[in-house]
Amino acid sequence: MLRDITLGQFYPGRSVLHRMDPRVKILLVLCTIVFIFVASTFSSLGLIVALVFLSMCLSGVPLRMYGKSLKAILFVVLFTSVLNLFYGSGDPVLQWGFMRITVDGIRRAVFVAVRISTLIVCSAILTFTTSPTQLTDALERLLRPLKKLKVPVHDIAMMMTIALRFVPTLLEETDKIMSAQKARGADLESGGVIQRVKAMVPVLIPLFVSAFRRAYDLAMAMECRCYGISPRVTKMRQLHVGRVDLWACAVVALVMAAVVAGNLLLPVWM
Amino acid sequence: MNPVLETRDLTFTYSPGTAYAKTACDHVNLTVYEGEFLGVIGHTGSGKSTLIQQLNGLLQPTSGQVLLHGQDIWADPKKIRAVRFQVGMVFQYPEYQLFEETVMKDICFGPKNKGLSDEEALQCAKEAAYFVDLREELWEKSPFELSGGEKRRAAIAGVLAMDPDVLILDEPAAGLDPRGRDKLLSQIRRYHKARGNTVLLVSHSMEDIARVADRVLVMNGGKMAMLDRTENVFARGDELQKMGLMVPQVTRIMARLRQEGYPVRGDELTVEQALEELLALCGKGGAD
Amino acid sequence: MSFIEVRGVHFAYDPTEGEIPREVLHGVDLQIEKGEFVALLGHNGCGKSTMAKLLNGMLHPTGGNITVGGVDTRDDDHIYEVRCRVGLIQQNPDNQLVASIVEEDVAFGPENLGIEPAEIRRRVDDALKSVDMYEYREHATYKLSGGQKQRVAIAGIIAMQPECIVLDEPTAMLDPRGRREVMDTIQALNREKGITVVLITHYMDEAVQAGRVVVMDEGEILMQGTPRQVFSQVDRLKQHALDVPQAAELCSCLQKAGLPVPDGVLNEEECVAVLRQLLGSALETGEEAGQ
Repeated sequence: MLRDITLGQFYPGRSVLHRMDPRVKILLVLCTIVFIFVASTFSSLGLIVALVFLSMCLSGVPLRMYGKSLKAILFVVLFTSVLNLFYGSGDPVLQWGFMRITVDGIRRAVFVAVRISTLIVCSAILTFTTSPTQLTDALERLLRPLKKLKVPVHDIAMMMTIALRFVPTLLEETDKIMSAQKARGADLESGGVIQRVKAMVPVLIPLFVSAFRRAYDLAMAMECRCYGISPRVTKMRQLHVGRVDLWACAVVALVMAAVVAGNLLLPVWM
Repeated sequence: MNPVLETRDLTFTYSPGTAYAKTACDHVNLTVYEGEFLGVIGHTGSGKSTLIQQLNGLLQPTSGQVLLHGQDIWADPKKIRAVRFQVGMVFQYPEYQLFEETVMKDICFGPKNKGLSDEEALQCAKEAAYFVDLREELWEKSPFELSGGEKRRAAIAGVLAMDPDVLILDEPAAGLDPRGRDKLLSQIRRYHKARGNTVLLVSHSMEDIARVADRVLVMNGGKMAMLDRTENVFARGDELQKMGLMVPQVTRIMARLRQEGYPVRGDELTVEQALEELLALCGKGGAD
Repeated sequence: MSFIEVRGVHFAYDPTEGEIPREVLHGVDLQIEKGEFVALLGHNGCGKSTMAKLLNGMLHPTGGNITVGGVDTRDDDHIYEVRCRVGLIQQNPDNQLVASIVEEDVAFGPENLGIEPAEIRRRVDDALKSVDMYEYREHATYKLSGGQKQRVAIAGIIAMQPECIVLDEPTAMLDPRGRREVMDTIQALNREKGITVVLITHYMDEAVQAGRVVVMDEGEILMQGTPRQVFSQVDRLKQHALDVPQAAELCSCLQKAGLPVPDGVLNEEECVAVLRQLLGSALETGEEAGQ
């Protein structure tokens, strides 16, 4: 259960999207996300969905992986779209008491559901096709201008890398400690909120102790590998904007232009 | 001999129904008798961890049953916690489970969960501390101040204190040096003799198993590959090696001599056994 | 002068409040030559892990000194050089990998050294090939087995092109298969690349593979020599509760019982040869007596 966190997990591959410059990917994903919210008509949103679907297919990541990340937020999608269901104006299709569902409400609900799902899939494409290290690497470079403002960009990026690296390890460790305490008769599953929080103490303390031990070892290992004592740091992976990236930018720009046009020229329900 | 733990077609599949489905425990039919010392060996991924975690109900079998004193442990899922007091489990690197302010309090954690009063729990904890030779001056210390070996023993005491009918130890000596390992194994043996309860020892080290176990279960590919008296299992050295397991050096030496036609048994497990036999053959043993 | 010179080294950890500083090393002298494979053997707490950290300047001796290629490890201006020449591998394979992807982790050291990207790529590939993990270069580190993680950690050090690797109980947390993988890797690096290896261990079967064994006890060097010289002293090792390879122990016991067994039997092969001869002659005389 604990290890089943797919959102933000890299899926190694050699697809076009894997080969793109992560900086460009981040910027394009951000741009697409903005336009998901800009799109106000079905056809504009449809265009974006088509773009995202195309990227999904190009990513070489099995579609069920996307299904998994959608499943993780299924509740949020359902909750918000059900809320929207009741917000529509116009003639009711169904009505019980003060609750009424209108055609407009249904339209809104579907629209919101598609919007959130697209958003999730869009960011999943980024995290599936970009290794966490590439991601932090790209962020480090994108944020480089902040260095002038004395922001320790390299150290922040390093912290992100380490956090990403240790998430699975610590989750696994949590699992193990929970099993060990259950084997000693700890009751982690029943009781009220306060009881449950109390019951977690035997899990949390060993987890903290172990995290500190790991941090100590890791600091030692990093020092042994000359972290922080060299005047110059390079990167194995050089980022450069290639032809694929330019094409991707062009396609996204075109779609975005169409989205704006669709918003302006078409009626809302189309 | 009465069976204490039995498994009937015990099967466990990780992520069933997906592409990652993996059957780590495949129709295992095992009977563990009261008071026996059973060694469990198998390389990583052979399914031995999955098997033992089902024995105390930490994992629920995909199909099949675990019977404790003849009762299916999952007959009433709400009572599964009671099973864990009867089948005690010491995990690998158990020192990572220590959390209380003092060593004594930590050892009392299990007995208290069992529902014992403070005094009763303390009594059990003290007895357990005695079995693992945990000196009295350590009892009121923080468990995090102890040395590595002491932490390990304190953690094991935490499970012994629950006084389980069956004690399962998963690689209890992992990472210890030879002195620590020998000490721990002899403590476990002493506990087994004194209490007369059932012990399952999971280990990669056949040398260790050879020294303590009456019977040995060999797991391979999620299945029971062998289950027999220790010397019979180790006599099948070739098969064990094919499963990626290491047979004690002295057993390999004697097995080779046997293959070459020398009149040795070929299933000697310890240096002492081999020595005795060789001395007898060379006319030194009986004569003296 | 030797590549690594340890002269009269004492070491005490900073005491926690109110305690007396506990000295863990009491005057250790050790020379390590280039290309050697030295095994450092001893119990937990005998000071061997402290030795590991002293050798690449992670800790500084409180008395005596250590030089690596003539540079004092306390010399802060050259600490960079010392760490590049002597790499350190720790026990827990999980705690020394920095990145989530194998090749990115291996690149971490060279990146810190400010090496050109193309050269890093070459070094990373070479290092991964030398530990036989090249086909895993794009795998996630946390999904690897313990032995594989440890080999990636070794590759991470190799990519910095050190002259010496110090390994602090690299196999203590591994299963037999992982142990074998790591030991094979260490052997190959020493033989094929001429890298000096200092292996800290309490497994005798690993120490036997070294060119020289140094036994430590209570912060001092108890004995040293070739594995054959060291492990023939069965009684002395047993006195200090250290293991001896079973072949050596068996032969030593037979010898003590008055049987004609030579000194210095070390491995299975030699033991079988000795026993063959012993049993052969015993059976012969037995037959003669019977006739």
